[in-house]
Amino acid sequence: MRHITVFLTCLIILFQDASASPVDFENQTITVAIEQEPPQLNSAKATDQVSGMVLGHLMEGLVRYDRRGRVVPGVATRWEMTDDKATFYLRKDARWSDGKPVTAHDFVFAWRTALKPITASEYAFIFFPIKNAQAINKGEMPADQLGAIALDDYTVEVSLERPTAYFIKLTAFVTFSPIREDFFNAKGDEYAANADDMLYNGAFIMPEWTHSASLKMVKNQNYWNKDNITLNAINVDYITADTRARLNLYTDGKIAFTRLDGETYKDALSQRFRIRRFTTGSVFFIEYNHRPERVTSNINLRKAIQHVFDPDEMVNRVLAVPGNLRGESIFPVWLNGVEDKFRREYPAPTARYSVATAKQYLERAREQLGGEIPPLVLLVGDSPTATKQGEYMQGLLLNKLGLEVKIDVQTFKQRLAKMTSGDFDMVGAGWGPDFDDIMTFGDLFASWNLNNRGRYKNPAYDRLVRIAMNSTDPKTRMDAMGEGQQILFDDAALLPQYEQGIIYLLHPKVKGVVRRVVGADPDYTHAKVIP
Amino acid sequence: MSLFQPETSMFEPLETQDGAEVITRPSLSYWQDAWVRLKKNTRAIISLNIIILLAIFTLLGPFFWDVDPALQDLNQVSQPPSMPKTALVVGSYQSWDGVTIENYEPPEDYADSVPAPTNFRTEGKPTTQVVRLVWDPVPEADGYNVYRNVREPQGFADLGLPLGATYGDELSYEDRLSLESRDYYYSVVPTDGIDEYEIFARLVITPQLAITQEDALERGLINRIDDVAIGELVEIEFHPLGTDYLGRDMLARLMEGARVSLFIGIVAPLLYVIVGIIYGGFAGYIGGRFDVVLMRFADFVVALPFLLFMILFKIAFGIGPGESGIMPMLIALVLLMWPATARLVRGQVLQIREEGYIEAARLLGGKNHYLIMRHIIPNTMGVILVTLTFAVPAAIFTEAFLSFIGMGVAPPTPSWGSMCNEGVKTMLSHPHELFFPALLISITVLAFNLLGDGLTEALDSKMRSRD
Repeated sequence: MRHITVFLTCLIILFQDASASPVDFENQTITVAIEQEPPQLNSAKATDQVSGMVLGHLMEGLVRYDRRGRVVPGVATRWEMTDDKATFYLRKDARWSDGKPVTAHDFVFAWRTALKPITASEYAFIFFPIKNAQAINKGEMPADQLGAIALDDYTVEVSLERPTAYFIKLTAFVTFSPIREDFFNAKGDEYAANADDMLYNGAFIMPEWTHSASLKMVKNQNYWNKDNITLNAINVDYITADTRARLNLYTDGKIAFTRLDGETYKDALSQRFRIRRFTTGSVFFIEYNHRPERVTSNINLRKAIQHVFDPDEMVNRVLAVPGNLRGESIFPVWLNGVEDKFRREYPAPTARYSVATAKQYLERAREQLGGEIPPLVLLVGDSPTATKQGEYMQGLLLNKLGLEVKIDVQTFKQRLAKMTSGDFDMVGAGWGPDFDDIMTFGDLFASWNLNNRGRYKNPAYDRLVRIAMNSTDPKTRMDAMGEGQQILFDDAALLPQYEQGIIYLLHPKVKGVVRRVVGADPDYTHAKVIP
Repeated sequence: MSLFQPETSMFEPLETQDGAEVITRPSLSYWQDAWVRLKKNTRAIISLNIIILLAIFTLLGPFFWDVDPALQDLNQVSQPPSMPKTALVVGSYQSWDGVTIENYEPPEDYADSVPAPTNFRTEGKPTTQVVRLVWDPVPEADGYNVYRNVREPQGFADLGLPLGATYGDELSYEDRLSLESRDYYYSVVPTDGIDEYEIFARLVITPQLAITQEDALERGLINRIDDVAIGELVEIEFHPLGTDYLGRDMLARLMEGARVSLFIGIVAPLLYVIVGIIYGGFAGYIGGRFDVVLMRFADFVVALPFLLFMILFKIAFGIGPGESGIMPMLIALVLLMWPATARLVRGQVLQIREEGYIEAARLLGGKNHYLIMRHIIPNTMGVILVTLTFAVPAAIFTEAFLSFIGMGVAPPTPSWGSMCNEGVKTMLSHPHELFFPALLISITVLAFNLLGDGLTEALDSKMRSRD
């Protein structure tokens, strides 16, 4: 018995020791959890959100976004923009974490590296407005032919392939971050594989990175704007995708921030935590397979589904988490139009819910497809919300239209592979914005876009995307995309479901955390701990 | 010393009695005797009755409770068990422009503090279809956040769920987020466009359960659109055991799920016990080198991993995604689970074939098949029955486990295991979704186990002498 008591006491001491507060006012330190190990911290190759969040704290591009989403100076202090040229003037006090200055060459090198076919960066396309970028990426030209050059150590001049209205905003994206040539070449394949194999120019550096367990970000003493950074350290002590585990960590005072889902928020409510809401800016939709051998290539079938799907029901009764908005268009409500929001200027056309109309479309589809429609394969992710949505769609189509649906649950990678090979009829897909312009959604259904995995192809839509891409006149661009929105609706090219909203908990003593639609999210750069 | 010498005259013949050799107690066959002893075992009899009830529930239940287990009732999502309810019939949803200020000018300077919004009220009758909130403007605010709580908020940090935000010119909010007929505490907080002022107005509302006219027609609650006028009450679908996360009837799903669970639970053991009997019987009866080879092969089969085979069969049979994995599960169970029975039967046969009565029967000219059919198999029946009753719960568990990890049934077909899998996600908020399928699995497994226990005792002839 005594042994047990001793053992219990030890346990209690251990637990007490571990249950320090997740925020420390004295040292200006916060502890958080991330959903997964950052898969890729090489800024030229990073694609996912977690890597983007970490890199957003460690690296700084030419420009950055402020808390209201406006473009503000980063490494560049000012810039000039014409139809065929953009010139950036860099600050002289920007330093790498080893003390050497950040120069124009570091940017040019990083962009060339990302474009080289051997790098195989999935985000290479983001450079394509730059002259020769596409040809370099295809391997048709050497990388030094890129239309971006360092005029001197502190001036970057970019020649554009075509007028690109949003080019300045693009340079805030993570793939545009600088990489220093001598360091990169010295590390070779090891670059960004470990904490020692990286060089930082952002507000924070990463002295510790224990793979799959934890990482630590510490204020960068060489950062040009370090006087305006209050936080001394961001400890990422936990890496788990389990929302319930993270809520428990939050409840136990181990982490200062966690996202909630449809179930965990009820526990958070009963514990009287202050819940916050944020609309991520991502659009979720059902993407159809338009390949001719698939039944979903039939427009009448897609129209039938369009007329029985009620996004209100999806958002309010199925997802049932606040913050989600009804999906009406591939273009989310926050996108800017000519003067106001795009969706206020060009309201999205919506189909009126009507089972009778849907059945007429279905009848036509049956005639064209020659008889009965085989079971449709609906590809969904393996998260509880994704499978729930899948089952909802399955029930909806069966009960209202008598269409049979088979649900194919797959992990993210596997789902992407099946989407690429076209092994589906419908897929639950989502798209998050990369930069603050309508084109981040606009070219998604262009026939040449590799992310258009349903192979939707409409020459009229392609033409409109080209107009919007090549023009700098806001009115011309928005008119084109407004018309494009109508085409996507008339073709029932996709079935918009919802614009994603999330709810989360943030420690009440942490202020200044910024949630962003584009860029690193959540952004702790200008956060501080209050007493 | 003289010895006692009996004489004939000292003895009298006993009178002949009728029925001295009549068997007074009823003659009982082995099975009758087992049944008598089983009947004395209360636990076993209760279990047997439960199993019969389960069979009735599964086979006859759908005739009495004729509800489509896949039909979604999104007016009643995750409802706990309840009595029949009536709902107000309302017109179809009409979008609402809300209340906005014309020619709104955002404040030029943001104040440090502002007063709380006044006249916080609802517009129209609050129902579970829609709650419309309206308030008067706060002069220096440039936006409002709307919160909803299910308990009375205790201070600013406890306003509850952040429903949404409005711009400065919007003075209304429409809430349609999974509304139930219960008390809601709404709060509206003025903001400067991003940050909140620490002040709020509150409103308590109890929305009335409502259903739209079209919905009532579509769901068959009324026959024609003019059967029930807007504003009248209509009885909505009754869910005695509540509904799941998509509003599907739990009772109907449990019945349908039982079919899958009990099918696997009874057919698989029956098949693999038969395989086991034949295999073990041969090995035991023939014996020798043949026995050694057969039993080593059985050992080899024991070592094969079940889950791996299950996946392999699924692929080998070309069972695509979204299709039921019940057949490969059945085949994998039959192919991999027989060795236990085979070993048991072989042991019994080895023992029995050396018994004296077998030798006697053989000497009297009994042929092999006669010996097997008449003597050996009946004597192993006890062991076999007991194995069978214990195999049933094991198979039900296997099915539940495989469906739990998503290898079993395909949605929307439920099984008890997959229902548990779905229910466990909402365990804390809607416990009934986990409780009922878990309870049924537990009861079934327990009943079969107790019946198995009872049978072990009843079929063991050594127990007979204790009576």
